[in-house]
Amino acid sequence: MTDRTAPTGRTALPDATAPSSARRRGVAGWVDVRGRRLGGWAFILNRVTGLGVLFYLYLHLLVLSQLAIGPGAWDSLLKNWFLNPVFLVLDVVLLAGLLIHGLNGIRVSLVGFGLVVSRQKALLGAFGTIGAIVLLIGTLMFISHGG
Amino acid sequence: MSDSVTFRVHRFKQGDAASHHDSFEFEPGPRSTVLDALTAIRRTQDPTLTLRHSCFHASCGTCGMKVNGREVLACVTNVRELGTGEVTVDPLDNAPLVSDLVVDMGPFFARLNAVERPLVRESELVPGAHTASGIPQPLRYEDCIECGICISACPIAATDPEYLGPAALAAADRVREEPRGGDVPFVLGLADDPHGAWRCHVAFECSEACPSNVDPAGHIMQLRRSLIGRRWRALLAQPVEAGR
Amino acid sequence: MTGPTDELRAAPGGGRELPERWAPEERDTLPGVGWAWQAITGALVLVLLTLHMIANHFVVQGGLRDYQQVIAYITNPIILPLETLFLVVVSWHGLLGLRAVIFDFGLSARAERIVTRVFVVVWLATIVYGVTLLAILVTRP
Repeated sequence: MTDRTAPTGRTALPDATAPSSARRRGVAGWVDVRGRRLGGWAFILNRVTGLGVLFYLYLHLLVLSQLAIGPGAWDSLLKNWFLNPVFLVLDVVLLAGLLIHGLNGIRVSLVGFGLVVSRQKALLGAFGTIGAIVLLIGTLMFISHGG
Repeated sequence: MSDSVTFRVHRFKQGDAASHHDSFEFEPGPRSTVLDALTAIRRTQDPTLTLRHSCFHASCGTCGMKVNGREVLACVTNVRELGTGEVTVDPLDNAPLVSDLVVDMGPFFARLNAVERPLVRESELVPGAHTASGIPQPLRYEDCIECGICISACPIAATDPEYLGPAALAAADRVREEPRGGDVPFVLGLADDPHGAWRCHVAFECSEACPSNVDPAGHIMQLRRSLIGRRWRALLAQPVEAGR
Repeated sequence: MTGPTDELRAAPGGGRELPERWAPEERDTLPGVGWAWQAITGALVLVLLTLHMIANHFVVQGGLRDYQQVIAYITNPIILPLETLFLVVVSWHGLLGLRAVIFDFGLSARAERIVTRVFVVVWLATIVYGVTLLAILVTRP
């Protein structure tokens, strides 16, 4: 046998950060969906919806400060802004984002723990269907509220 | 009617400020592959075109490249079946560019070596050797042809230069499954790292793109499951050892 | 007897030592722990968010609570701790997720530690802000 304990020196992996590796795609490798498959779409949608919902969370917390000002401030905000059709459309977008991120999150968690790995595509299909149905119901409810 | 197809081929030579695409006309037959087209272009139109290839039958893994934006082996990609009058050919992503369609596979191979890839079963080559326990029959190594397509398709390899990558992690999982003399704790130590199995974000692009059905993403998930199990066992074993 | 894998191990780059950038001493936390937290908090967020959405938007006339309805809702002794927990968990999940996105750029161990500390501060500030807001509303006569 070759002496595997022979000092080979510390393995220096070729420096992948060297300028010669300028072809590393960077963020374009996340968001460029050309040539990507379903899982790649799920990855980027998860990322985009996650960042979007985080932005919304802080916006939401900021808006809630109006409650501290008093009943007048909150109720006029409600009447003049949040029941506006534009906001109802934004609500549908938010619900879609939450559904995509939440349902894909379940898939990623299960698969990431090494469970149902071979079924991950079926899981995508099932969750996609569930998400679409819930989004439809939610949208109808938003419309009924707006009307 | 001309059956000619325009090939837009990525061009870059050392010292160039930027890469560009050159167009070549090629008339494919019904069974012409992209590799046939590229070698013909080199032979008859531009001998300076550089590309890697060897076997012409999806065995050597050297002709991995991007055709119309998707990672493929050029040798088994039929030009007509692409269904486009223009075919764009680019080198693999997330690897250092050497020239035209050639990337430096050094970082990729170094990672495979680092995880002590079980490249070929020695039992296949050594007369009288036994198969690993629990394995009914010897198979060729895990089918990985080391083409680098998985790294190119991986969204995380696009930003994390230190990521161990799908192929090496799949190989690490094979060492775990069948050590064959490999140093399992060492290999798992490499994989159990923020830039190892935990960096993956479950896009499964590597498994989809792999031309050899290695399913690297599936292996990464099994690897995680095993790493979690090992950590729990270590955690539970600690009080027992402390009490001794 | 020398097998083919031995020759490969002996080849350049085939050494067995841990490559420097994977040295464990650089690690801030156990690898994978952040990922596990993300899955656990994600599951909790799913439950709490569903409750939050139903209670605040789907069972309410008009889809949104007016001031009096908000006060009636959050002064409920079951709702108040649940909404506080929701705030704690959802901000943790969100910030941990953003941290993971930033880490995907392959930061140095030192840069990762700085990012983590900044995010802990932002997380705590978020909780202080939310709890203060809740306290103002709950204690208002």
